[in-house]
Amino acid sequence: MKDTATESTTRPRNPVRGALASFDALTLTCAGVLALLTLAAVAGPLAGVGGDPTAIVGPRLAPPSAEYPLGTDSLGRSLLPRVIEGVGTTLVVSAVAVLCTAVISTAGGIVAGYHGGAVNGVVMRIGDVLYAFPAIILAILVASVVGPGRTAALVSIVLVTVPLMTRMVGAAARLVCVRDYVTAARISGVSAPRIMVRHVLTNVSGTVAVQTTYALSVAILVEGGLSFLGYGVQLPASSLGLLIQEGTVYMVKAPWALLAPSVILVLAIVAINVIGDSLRDRFEPRKARSL
Amino acid sequence: MTKRLAVASTALVLLVPLAACGADPGPAADPAAEEEPGYLAVADTSLEGTGTLRVHLDYDTAEAAGLDPRSADVARSWSLMGLSYDTLVEVGPDFEFLPSLAESWRTPDPTTYVFTLRDDAVFSNGRPMTARDVRRSLEHLLESESTWAAQLGPVESVEETGEHEVTVRLEHPHTAFLGALANTPAGILPMEEVDGGSVDLTAEMVGTGPYVATEHIQDESWTFEVNEHYWGEPPAVERLEISIVADEFNRAAALRDGSADFAYFNNIDTLDQLEAEPAARVVFQENTDFYYLILNSANPGSPLADDRVRFAVNAAVDRNQLSELALGGHARPTGVAPATLPDACPAGELPSALLDDDEIAEILEEAGVTEVELSLVTFNSETAPGQIAQVVQQQLAGHGLSVDIDIVDDASFGAALYSGSTATDDMGVSWYAGYGDASMVSRWWNTDTAAFTADFMVGDPAVNDLVVQAGRTPRGPEREAVIADLCAAVDERSEVVPLVTRPSVIGYRTDAVSPTLHSVEGYGDILRNITDFRLVSS
Repeated sequence: MKDTATESTTRPRNPVRGALASFDALTLTCAGVLALLTLAAVAGPLAGVGGDPTAIVGPRLAPPSAEYPLGTDSLGRSLLPRVIEGVGTTLVVSAVAVLCTAVISTAGGIVAGYHGGAVNGVVMRIGDVLYAFPAIILAILVASVVGPGRTAALVSIVLVTVPLMTRMVGAAARLVCVRDYVTAARISGVSAPRIMVRHVLTNVSGTVAVQTTYALSVAILVEGGLSFLGYGVQLPASSLGLLIQEGTVYMVKAPWALLAPSVILVLAIVAINVIGDSLRDRFEPRKARSL
Repeated sequence: MTKRLAVASTALVLLVPLAACGADPGPAADPAAEEEPGYLAVADTSLEGTGTLRVHLDYDTAEAAGLDPRSADVARSWSLMGLSYDTLVEVGPDFEFLPSLAESWRTPDPTTYVFTLRDDAVFSNGRPMTARDVRRSLEHLLESESTWAAQLGPVESVEETGEHEVTVRLEHPHTAFLGALANTPAGILPMEEVDGGSVDLTAEMVGTGPYVATEHIQDESWTFEVNEHYWGEPPAVERLEISIVADEFNRAAALRDGSADFAYFNNIDTLDQLEAEPAARVVFQENTDFYYLILNSANPGSPLADDRVRFAVNAAVDRNQLSELALGGHARPTGVAPATLPDACPAGELPSALLDDDEIAEILEEAGVTEVELSLVTFNSETAPGQIAQVVQQQLAGHGLSVDIDIVDDASFGAALYSGSTATDDMGVSWYAGYGDASMVSRWWNTDTAAFTADFMVGDPAVNDLVVQAGRTPRGPEREAVIADLCAAVDERSEVVPLVTRPSVIGYRTDAVSPTLHSVEGYGDILRNITDFRLVSS
């Protein structure tokens, strides 16, 4: 009989497998769901899965069948390619917006945390003002100013997600900035930008990663809400919120029109939140410890 | 969020729609079936209830125009003001004209109308209506130079020719004259008080109609009480509480939960939301209103400046499919004479309907247009225009024409097509009110008089002449021929292409009200027969 314990310690370890093994099954399942949705959104249109999302191919409100796996909508378009397009639109708008949020919040949070005092006060008060608006009200306000559409959704998501992320990154940056190595760097005459990038940014990256995942789930919700209310993505394009809005009209007669986009929206948000929880456990273990 | 919560909430969301899948709404009555010829619903006269009817409408009278009926130019204004103002004649279910404040009339020649007035009509302030009120009301409308003054036609004179008689003389025959008199903007006003300055028409409504407005909160609500001086039978609906509820879902919810008795809907699929409510009945009312497709001939840079391309695009539009997909099969393909009016011209016989795909391709090839991208703008305050735009997009794609759709709010739509300068969008989707006579809506194809179309329409003198002829030729075979020529000419020009009629959806609770509803409505007045409505209980 082989000594497996000895063998495992001697064999070179696969870093990817090792990283995956450190997450629980639920997290891995959620990551799989998210990967699948992303793959569908990216590869689906390229491979022509379900056909042209704008093409009228069958009777209106036909139930799911082999020909139309998710049924057809009120104009006789197959829902499968429309849902795939909707997932892509929602993920792209949300991801781009969250990327902007991450950049703005990380920069703002680190600058506020490093300088403290008045600079911190100004950055945090701007955040407080934005934070005071309920998310959807702020989003509607933006949409009414810039006009309904993807730009409105994008700007709204950024404004909704920036305050919380800036506050969290700022708090993390303040903790890092009082560490001895930062003090030492200052005394040694290292420039502030270099300290912020070299020492502070690298030590708040975990917080940024965790907050980015949470911001992504908020972004998907805001995009969905705005499109549902008619302020976000506009027809004939599709997004999950827009498809849900269309589906509600036919909730009784054709529930499949509501079912697919609703389930996908929930799955995406739950998956992202579970992944965010796991990342938080990884990067901020003390906060996540349960009794 | 904890992971347990995540799993539980996911499961819940997955189960809720599945539960909806299992709901069986049961069979529904045909919502377009007539109870009697010309009537979708006829009030049950055995019901003896009296009291309040709660009505939910989609929008209010226009605030800027005030309450002066002369300047009322939208259907809800006509409905709401029509509760207080009567007209000389009214429209019957087959678009025949019926007595109202004029108990009879005669036309000794095609340009003279002699109206014999009721002697028992009294304004809500208690003063009897006189021939002077009628004369001055019509003069007052003509002086206003409003849209409806133009519909009234070439009125030469209005005279009091007896204690209860008024004679109107026209410069030339105007077939739509009675049709124009039958709508609220031609309502009879208390002109003695108006001329004397004691009644401000923009702020109050003093008419001879069945109701008096007792409260109005703009864009929120109206309350009407019975006019104690009303000349007709006292209506069973003694009080009308009208709520302005912009959101379609909220109106449907109100009808479902019983907080509304009667409601109007724009979306043809609203029926589906109310199927499961046994007390709710939804009916499809046909209108003379119709959707149209603008093919911009005024922009020299557009491929549609070429007559041949516009005609080919028109021919590529399948109106039957439009009705089926965008309006659930409840709309009728139409030409410029609304398909729901007696003088309609069959859409299937229009020149564009006779072309097959190969002929369309040939025309486009001849015009040098094989692959082109066109822009189309429409508005989002109703569902159907966006749906129509998307179906048109697909129909044109089958002919190698790519359409980029922009669905915008009403203000942006107006700015795109009615700004006063040449429109840059190639196409647009909107709708016209069809009124009660084919020559009324066809006026908008006469570029000599319809200035608002100049941004997207060059016009054609031959079409303008036919519009004028249709307006002057008395009803009969000769007029039918003129209208057929007009329909064909408009179709061949293809500058503004009539598509399909615009049906309405009316919902009501059978445990609250038994209404009378015409099968076809010309002026969007869903409360037209309110005095015939019966209530189930007091």
